[in-house]
Amino acid sequence: MTQGVLLFCFNTDTCEYHKIAERCVELIKKNLKLEITIVTNFETYKKFKSLGMINYKLFENEVGNKRGQEQWHNLDRCHAYDLSPYDITILMDIDYFCFTDNLLQYLQVDEDFLLHDKIHDLTNKDVYNFRKNSIIPMLWATVIIFKKTNRAKSIFETVKYIKQHYQHFCNLYRIDFRNFRNDYAFSIAVNQVNGHIQQKFLPGKLPTLPGIAKVLEINDTGIAFKYDDKINYVENQDVHILDKEIANV
Amino acid sequence: MDIGELKKQADLSYDISVAKRNALERAESRQIFAYNGHLFRADAETICLVQTLKQHKDSFYILDTNNNPCEIKDPANFLNKLIERNQETLNAYHQINESFSKRR
Repeated sequence: MTQGVLLFCFNTDTCEYHKIAERCVELIKKNLKLEITIVTNFETYKKFKSLGMINYKLFENEVGNKRGQEQWHNLDRCHAYDLSPYDITILMDIDYFCFTDNLLQYLQVDEDFLLHDKIHDLTNKDVYNFRKNSIIPMLWATVIIFKKTNRAKSIFETVKYIKQHYQHFCNLYRIDFRNFRNDYAFSIAVNQVNGHIQQKFLPGKLPTLPGIAKVLEINDTGIAFKYDDKINYVENQDVHILDKEIANV
Repeated sequence: MDIGELKKQADLSYDISVAKRNALERAESRQIFAYNGHLFRADAETICLVQTLKQHKDSFYILDTNNNPCEIKDPANFLNKLIERNQETLNAYHQINESFSKRR
């Protein structure tokens, strides 16, 4: 069975995401030692430095979604099932930094589609309590482990459908965020494919550093960050980093 | 009362508490491991359960983190792995905890 990591990376006018992806790739190579495929467009591809043995899939990304006033190229993850060359795939955001090999454990399980339903806010501010922003509990599409099964395919196909009719689903599930978010699209898709009952999740929490924290330094084992005039650090722990300035750290 | 000193002390205590919480979360993440296609937590509860069942049966079923049943055919091997992973994570947590004690 082939195994690998699939990343989506598209630069915008305001963020050079390829720089974040380059750091992400270094950590995957060091700690997971898995094959990597990056889905990107030609403009972004030209900017990547040489990363060694990496597969690229050139893909014209869909545009139109925004976060605040900025472009947000997040409309293509529903194609991950079709684009992944692996039997077992870790589909990961490029701002998820693997400082451990913890994710490797999840490749050895019988389940065919797993993602996080819980989050751990490293600043202790609990800024991700979205329970009252929709009637469906939000799952985190930051890290998804899936196999090439009919059920996994159905989930991705459902996400494509939800994306086409996203405002309808926002109304149906009373989702406060009106821009397209993969977290909600996957939450709805998983819920529907699973017959509207709870599905199986990754047992841990998604360790996340919210945007209020500014990353000061990244090294091989962890990061130092600042928030509320306090400097803190995490070591040997995977981190999902929301601060997009990380591209320039 | 020196309010400045008190604030410094309170800030330090808060920072240590957040860092400890993060370190404990790190340990708990590390305790998750795969065995026979199932995910388990190498925590005290699982270790005690396996130890107890092992004393009565050569093989048995337990529930994984998603409540799927998993047959444990080699309890000794499974228990060793659980204890090894549990102690690896708690040893790392202990070291971090020690560094907090020095900061107080």
